[in-house]
Amino acid sequence: MLLTVFMYLAAAAFAGFSLYKVYLFAQNPLNNRWELYPVPGELGTRGSYGGSYYEEAEWWARPRQVSHTGVYREMLKESLFMRNLFVNRRKHWRLSYAMHLGIYLLVFFTFLLLAGAITELSGLRLTTLTGAGNHPWARLVYFATSVTGACGASLTAFGSASLLFSRVLDGTLRKYTDFDEYFNLCFILAAAVSGLIVWSTDPGFNYGREVVTAMLTFAPIRGGTALTVHILLFGALLIYIPRTKMSHYIGKYFAYHKVLWDNEPNLSGSVMEEKVRKSLEYIPQDRWSAPHVNSAGRQDSL
Amino acid sequence: MDSLKPQDITRPLSDQLISLDKFMPLPAPYDKPGMEPGPSPLKEAWKDNHCTTLDGIIGNDRLTRPGTKEEEERFVKNFLSGMDKLFSKETNSGFLTPFLLAFEYCAKCDACSEACHIFKASGEKEVYRPIFRSEALRKLYRRYKKGGGLAARFTGGDMEINLEAVLRLGELAYRCNLCRRCAQNCPLGLDNSLIAREIRALFSMEMGIAPTSLHERGTLLQLKTGSSTGMKRKAFSNIIEFIEEEIADRTGKMYKIPVDKKGADILLIHNAGEFLSWPDNPAAFAILFEEAGLNWTMSSELAGYDAVNYGIWYDDVQAQKIALAQRRAARELGVRRIVIGECGHAHRAAAVSSDRLAAGADNIPRESSFPILRDIVRSGAVKFDPLRNNFPVTLHDPCNIVRSMGVVMPQRQILKALCPQFREMTPHGVNNYCCGGGGGFSVMREMNFSEWKMKVAARMKFKQILDAFQDTIQDPVIPKYVCAPCSNCKGAIRDMLDLYQATAKFNVQYAGIVELMVNAMVIFDRPYFEWLQEGWAERKGI
Repeated sequence: MLLTVFMYLAAAAFAGFSLYKVYLFAQNPLNNRWELYPVPGELGTRGSYGGSYYEEAEWWARPRQVSHTGVYREMLKESLFMRNLFVNRRKHWRLSYAMHLGIYLLVFFTFLLLAGAITELSGLRLTTLTGAGNHPWARLVYFATSVTGACGASLTAFGSASLLFSRVLDGTLRKYTDFDEYFNLCFILAAAVSGLIVWSTDPGFNYGREVVTAMLTFAPIRGGTALTVHILLFGALLIYIPRTKMSHYIGKYFAYHKVLWDNEPNLSGSVMEEKVRKSLEYIPQDRWSAPHVNSAGRQDSL
Repeated sequence: MDSLKPQDITRPLSDQLISLDKFMPLPAPYDKPGMEPGPSPLKEAWKDNHCTTLDGIIGNDRLTRPGTKEEEERFVKNFLSGMDKLFSKETNSGFLTPFLLAFEYCAKCDACSEACHIFKASGEKEVYRPIFRSEALRKLYRRYKKGGGLAARFTGGDMEINLEAVLRLGELAYRCNLCRRCAQNCPLGLDNSLIAREIRALFSMEMGIAPTSLHERGTLLQLKTGSSTGMKRKAFSNIIEFIEEEIADRTGKMYKIPVDKKGADILLIHNAGEFLSWPDNPAAFAILFEEAGLNWTMSSELAGYDAVNYGIWYDDVQAQKIALAQRRAARELGVRRIVIGECGHAHRAAAVSSDRLAAGADNIPRESSFPILRDIVRSGAVKFDPLRNNFPVTLHDPCNIVRSMGVVMPQRQILKALCPQFREMTPHGVNNYCCGGGGGFSVMREMNFSEWKMKVAARMKFKQILDAFQDTIQDPVIPKYVCAPCSNCKGAIRDMLDLYQATAKFNVQYAGIVELMVNAMVIFDRPYFEWLQEGWAERKGI
């Protein structure tokens, strides 16, 4: 039962710490504009060549239009394919993308485990003594789980191991890699390898469905040493990730949406102007100390 | 490969971290020995008072060595206090989110290094790698916040905080043009140039240390006299009269430049450096705006005749004061909009950086002059003959106007319409390289900084210019024109062409975009450019 409780805590910690980090960034004061073009929210070809509404005289008198399609398209390119790394650092992208693609597959795999567990709890067996069950849905879930789990864990293990080696072997990267960054890669590698070890004895990932079923029914997780070690590593990783720079799934959102792609102008009478007005009313509780920083007006930033 | 690592920033005073040699090679004709001037020796006297232990260069002349042990301790203590303030909502609200993101989330993939013109042009000197500076700050901060224990070492806080580290970091903040090309290449969208800027802000706002050119002879002078050039109202009026006379002499037509015209549609603000160094530029604006029949004015109020705002490079307090002074000059005149002339950082300071600074009556619309100029060409309100500009022309993209503001096409549309031999640099648009004068460098001339600026910071741009003109560079009879629609970029390109004698030897000329427009105006019977006036009759039809 301890393993079940641990997994509840790990999942809750992952969600809780991640949301807390989102909350902290969201609570930061309205920042100055620091956009960087191309901004994909710009309409038409401007979104690709890097133009903006400033390319029109009296831009402020024209209706404000944002291309949400452009934003989503760029988000998808960056999230799913890590486009910027692909364009600017191809060698590193191959290794990093292997690991990230592995993680994406493992997230999908987790949903498939959940689907499988719910299917079995509702009375439809996914497996028979000889493998996948006969029902089309059962076969689909069973094989999709097997493929995503095996590929996901393998890619994650390969990617994290190769990133680790490249950081050790590449003189430049080695100089800039701190101990925690090696540790992070080792941690991911350990969790992935332990998963592969468990999988080697159970190619259909039945153990995974049993763990999810146990969590859904608040039942004890039964497993051998290998599974226990894997669960402990995976759970600890879930707790650890949001507290480290591996939470860049949050950082990247804010970096793009609230900084680089945020070119929302402060038009007279707009919602933004109201936000600016409130921000200007705030009296800072601390000040910079240089002599030229006097007490008049808002001083904290431009 | 350079063996230096960020921890080496703490090395003792006796060690200069790098020496400048073996720069990135330049293309023909500067690929031959003797075409590039040699380095000047470092003066011994500078070493005693300034920080020369980074690269032998002094960019921040006000960053001087403390005289006593007590002063040294106070210096480091003030730095640490300032570092705390960078992380506080109370003191760094406007940049807290982008700064925290850049500080916390760097994945150390090194994609930024390939994007950095300073790193590449220097021959890949380690201290100029964009993450070197950021990582040094991270290590200092983590050591400071977590002490010297295991937890600090685990997260990279593995170096001592000493005077030399703080001094070197203060200098290193002025080895970045703040062009933001690194951020464009970052897979996580993080900005190393912002970290450089924040270090500058810390030194200025907490320790009162900023280069004389930016602070005392920059923002302080502007707030005192009205202009960073020191030009007062009376001098401004005299210059306007001088420009009116110059236009009459040059074109044979008299124009009256409107000043302090209440209720005008447009308040046009130039970088005041134009009046002193390139008066042809504001003169050309006046000709075009008058010929197009625009309802415009200039202002003689404090800061109303100088669009510069050096504060955006190093000090939020100064930036705020100047931006508000400019808005208030516009408000006094009751204009509909502020239009910025050919000045990149002024574009960004007025339109973008200060956008969330004012509400209500001070929230006056600001816009670039480029779309207005493009519309003048398109509308047919002024007649142009492109054959008058029939010589090779290339365009420099000011980072602040293009990468940080998204004004990319209007200037190209003008050049494509008026310059038959227009050719792009590679790369260009939002992927351009900085001129080398960005982030304040254009006006920073202290000690030996100018030499570094030209040989390292401006090197990539010089290479781009040479590459763009490879077909004609060796023929000094053919003028080659670098269109640099930004005062500070023009300053950097002027210094670059002087250092390499590219104008004298190869007839490489430079100026802005409005000069090209006026040169092509059919109502004038002679070229606007002085360098075209000699032998104009013989060259008609080139």
